[in-house]
Formats: sequence, structure tokens, C-alpha cells
Amino acid sequence: MVVPGGSTTRIGVPRSILHYEFGGIIARFLGGLGVDVELSPPTRREIFAAGKRAVIDELCFPIKIFVGHVAYLVAQQVDRVVIPVIVGHENDRMFPCHPRSRLADIVRALGVCEESQLLTPAFRFHKDGLSVEGFQGLARSLGFSKAACSKALEEATAVNLCRRSVDAGRGGPTLGLIGRPYVTADDWANHHIVQRLQRLGCRVVTEEDAGNAGYAPEGTGLHFALAARTLNLARQWDEKPEVNGLVFLLPFNCGPDGDIARYLTGTIAKPMLTLVLDELRSSAGMTTRLEAFIDLLGRSAVAVGGRSL
Amino acid sequence: MNHFTFSWGSNYIAVRGLLRALGHELSSPPRITPAIVQRGIELAHPFLCFSGKLVLGQIAAQLEKGDRRLAFMSSLGPEACRCADTCDYMDSLFGGYTGFSAHRFGGGSFDQALANLRSHFGPSVRRHQVVKAYAAFLGKVDLIHKVEKRCTALRCLAATPGRVRELKREALQRIDRAAGPAALWRVSRWFDRGAGSLPLREEGPALRVGVVGGEHILCELDSIMAVIEETAERGIFLDWRGGFRLLARATRASLEPLKEKCRGHLHGAPSTSEVFSCAHAVDFIREGYDGLLHVYAFGCMPQTAIKPILQRMAASAGVPLLSLSIGDRFAEEGLENRLEAFIDLLQARKGKGVGK
Repeated sequence: MVVPGGSTTRIGVPRSILHYEFGGIIARFLGGLGVDVELSPPTRREIFAAGKRAVIDELCFPIKIFVGHVAYLVAQQVDRVVIPVIVGHENDRMFPCHPRSRLADIVRALGVCEESQLLTPAFRFHKDGLSVEGFQGLARSLGFSKAACSKALEEATAVNLCRRSVDAGRGGPTLGLIGRPYVTADDWANHHIVQRLQRLGCRVVTEEDAGNAGYAPEGTGLHFALAARTLNLARQWDEKPEVNGLVFLLPFNCGPDGDIARYLTGTIAKPMLTLVLDELRSSAGMTTRLEAFIDLLGRSAVAVGGRSL
Repeated sequence: MNHFTFSWGSNYIAVRGLLRALGHELSSPPRITPAIVQRGIELAHPFLCFSGKLVLGQIAAQLEKGDRRLAFMSSLGPEACRCADTCDYMDSLFGGYTGFSAHRFGGGSFDQALANLRSHFGPSVRRHQVVKAYAAFLGKVDLIHKVEKRCTALRCLAATPGRVRELKREALQRIDRAAGPAALWRVSRWFDRGAGSLPLREEGPALRVGVVGGEHILCELDSIMAVIEETAERGIFLDWRGGFRLLARATRASLEPLKEKCRGHLHGAPSTSEVFSCAHAVDFIREGYDGLLHVYAFGCMPQTAIKPILQRMAASAGVPLLSLSIGDRFAEEGLENRLEAFIDLLQARKGKGVGK
């Protein structure tokens, strides 16, 4: 595609962390501007392996996946890779976790991507999503007008590329899936958990089924935006009689979600299964834990006089 | 009313100064021992940073002793971390202790600080009392910082390190007892005279090492950092510029020059301890320090995020960097071995004139 300056530029968007977190809006926005967008493919083992090779061990599992996506795009010889810098909530009281706000710095320091290839627009966010100013800055940096930005943003906001449809299940328990969007929506990262649960006869409800919870709900008092979102959703489903239990996907070494997991264990009434997701992949171990949890749900329903699930 | 808190090294003394200015008292937190570390590990989720586990261990130990009113100091803006949202979390962990309450002081502005104090002590807290309390707090934070930093330097430079340790102990006790700015000023003068009168070694430092890292760990000079600080007595000049003082005094305006130093390494994401670490590493490299020590708690998100950035900075500048992650399996022997190897490497480089 030809950007206003007259040159052809292919821009890579990593299908990871921020892509899922903001419902794919960056890729749609760039597409709406007419930019040639290359969205990296869904995560697979080779992508993760490339990230893992580059990243220090202590960084969390999703960051290793993210870096793998950037490495993939660089290998595809895109001209630029867009990695937004998420600065914080407009209210200055909620923030992304530190590694997530430093993705561009980490990628640059690891040498995965040249400085000149990085496109790093700064975004603030509000309760419903990313602020307009960030999109304007991104469009401006590519030479597009404010009018073109507004039109592309309007189109981009209309659809959500990351929305998943979930079937009605087969009479088994209804489970609420909670966790960061980039693990609940990334099938490789979460061991295809939705399909596994459906095969076990469960109905799985995700954040989208819970209505418009917004990006960063206020009122929890929490410092980290996504932890607030998880907490809100868990509390919401804890109140809903049609949800029988919660499955919390906790990526390895995620500090904020570790706190939330411990907090939820002590404060919610519904049974909750916390699954730590990491690079050690054992489908047998995963299936065993899921089966045990569903079995437990069925037994506890009978124990309290409910129907057998 | 008696409160308790966690240590932040010696900075609990400053929190006590704030409470005393409001007519309340604060117990001295227990020293960090293996039993306290173990208690924290048992209480916390494994992904909580090691500093957080130490905090939980210290809180549990004091609750078991009978204390009930936890008060802790935290900023509320981007400099904050998990500690900004811990009250509910602490309630969920320690609510079983009858009468337990957790309250956070601090704030990104005077009005927030006032509101926080009023929410704990009631609406009768007046503005002038808050000014007085925070003057005591910040005055003590500054003086504690000065004493600890200068005493660490003197452990390398003075001919009698034992007298340095005595001077520090006495200075901290005097800071704790000091009531009001005039008394603090007298302690400061007394300390300056004492430090100035110590005889110095004839030879200068063998090496200069800049220390950067997580504020919680850097503050713990008498426990976790003790092993690192002891290297000063082997002629290693240790310097650090972060710590609790920087967090307590951080404002948007004061962060700007630090962010400017980080340009080229960090984008404009929220400012937390990684900005401090990065800016100070830039300074140490520019000032020709022989090596960099990056000390942080395992699981500390800002410091984990900054680690690859520091590694790249150090590699580009040709300055050796040792990253010390302090975690659940912290053992003094392991730390000593790594430090010794690092210092040997620095000495060998210096001997060969590498990097100069």
C-alpha cells in the first residue's frame, strides 16, 4: 500500500498481548487507513520457541509469546512493527503491568527488532478502550490526516476481530472463563481450553458473553487495569446462578493475576479452578485437571440437592 | 493508638515520625529472619514478588504478637506498584485476626495525603497537622538516606569500619528520637561531625560499583543487602542513588530529568522504579564506574522488565553487569559466591586496564 508520503510500507502487527487486549483494533485501524497490514498468524509452537530463545527466563509466559510474534514479523521482512506503548488510564489511577507497558523497550533491548523498524505510538486508555489521541498520533506518524484517522477509527470500532462464538454446550455445567484476554483468546497459549471443555460437555462463557464490562472498570481500587477487569468479571459470575464454576487462566509469573487468584480463592463462593499456563505443555495433565474439576462440580451439585451435571 | 508496619529497611523510623506527629505510636518491625521469610512464602501466591513475601511475613509475625493496626506508606501514582491496592488483599489474608485493619498513607498530592489520613484518623485531622507530620516523615527519610549512603561509602573509605557501624547505629537511634525539624538538624550536624572525624584509609577504593535495583531490596541494608554491603569493607566503593527516599519524594517534576536520561532506552510508559534504575545506570556508566550490580526481588515486575534493557546498556558500554535476583531460595552463600566471582572479574579487568 502507498502511504501519503508516496512510499510503500508494510506494517506488522503481532497477534499477541495488545492485539487481544484491545480486540484487534490496531490492525483494523491501520487497515482502515489503507495501510498494508501483516497480522502475524495465530500462535504456534515455532512462534513461541522463537520468543523463548530471545527472552530472559523471568519474564512472563505471554511476553515470550509476544516476542515470538515480533520475531516472526521481522522474519517476514515487514517494514515496520507496531508496538503501542500503553501509558495508563486517563484517570491516572490505573495502569498496565510494567512489562506490558515496556514491550517496545524489551523487544528493542533483546535485539529482536531494529529501532528504526519500531512504530511505538503512545496510548492512554479509559473505561471502554484506547483513547482517540493515540490513534491520531499513530495516523499522524504515518502521514495521514485527522479526517482519515476519524473515518478509519469509526470503521475499526464497529467490529471486533477477536470475538469468539461459543456454542451452547451439551447439558453439562456452565463455566466462566476468566483471565487476561491474551490468554483466554489465544488458543495455543491456553491449550485450546474452550474446545477441551466443550468436548467434556461444558458450556463455556467468556468475557464477551458477560455484556459490556468495558476495558478498565473502575471501582475495584486496583492499580492494574486487567486485574480489575478479571476481578469484576469473577464477582459478576459469582452472582449468576447459571454459572456453575470459574476457570481462571493464570499465565506463569504474572504477578497481578497471582494476587487476584489468591484473593478470589478466599472471597468468592463458586468453585474455581486455577490453571497456570506455561511453556511446559502436557495435554494429558490439562485434561486430567479439567475432568477432575467437572467431576467435582457434578458431585457438589448433587450434594447440595441440585441435579446431577 | 499503636500501629505496626513492615520495615523498608530503617525507613519505618520515618513512618513512626509521621505517626508521632499525629499523636500515635508505631511498633518496631521484627528483623527479617529465615522464619519470617518462610512465613511470607507460605502466605503469598508463588508469583508475588519476594519483597511482597517479606512484607507478608513481617506482618504475620506482628499479628501473632498481638499487633492489629497495620499502617503503611505508599505513593498512589505510577510510582506505586501492587502496594497501591493491597488493603482488600491484606484483609482477605489476615481478616481472621480479630480487629485487624490495614491502612495506606501517602498520596500523589497533598490533598490525597490529607484525605488518606482523615479516612483513617477521622475528619478531625487538620491541614497543619498533616504538614507537620509529612515534614517529620520526609525529614527523617532524607536523613536516614544520608546516613546509610555515607556509612556505606565510609565502610570502604574509613580505616575503622567498626566505628562506622557504631556511628550508623547511633545516628539511626537519634533520628528515631528526634522530634521536630530543629532536632533533626542537630542530629544531621552531629552525624556530619562524627563521619568527618573518622580516620580514612591511605589507599582509595579498589573498585567503584554502582548498585541499581528494586527499592524494597536496596533498603534492606541490615538483612538482605548486608552481604552486598560487606564487600565495601574489602575496598569496594558501593554507590546507589535509588531507594525509599527517591520513591517518597518522587513527583512528576522530579521524574522528568530522570526520564530524559532514559531517552533512547525507555519509551514514555508509566514511571516506576525502572526509570530510577535505568537513569542511575546511565549515570554510573557515564561516570566511569567499574561495574554495575542490579539487585532485585524475584517477581518484581518493573525490575524484570528493565533487566534486558540494563543488559543491553551495559554490553554496549562494555561495563560488566551482575544481576542478582533475590528470591525464595535466597542463600547468603550463593550470593557471596556470585559477588566474589564478579569482584574478581572486575579486579582482573582493572588490572589489565580493560574498559579504561
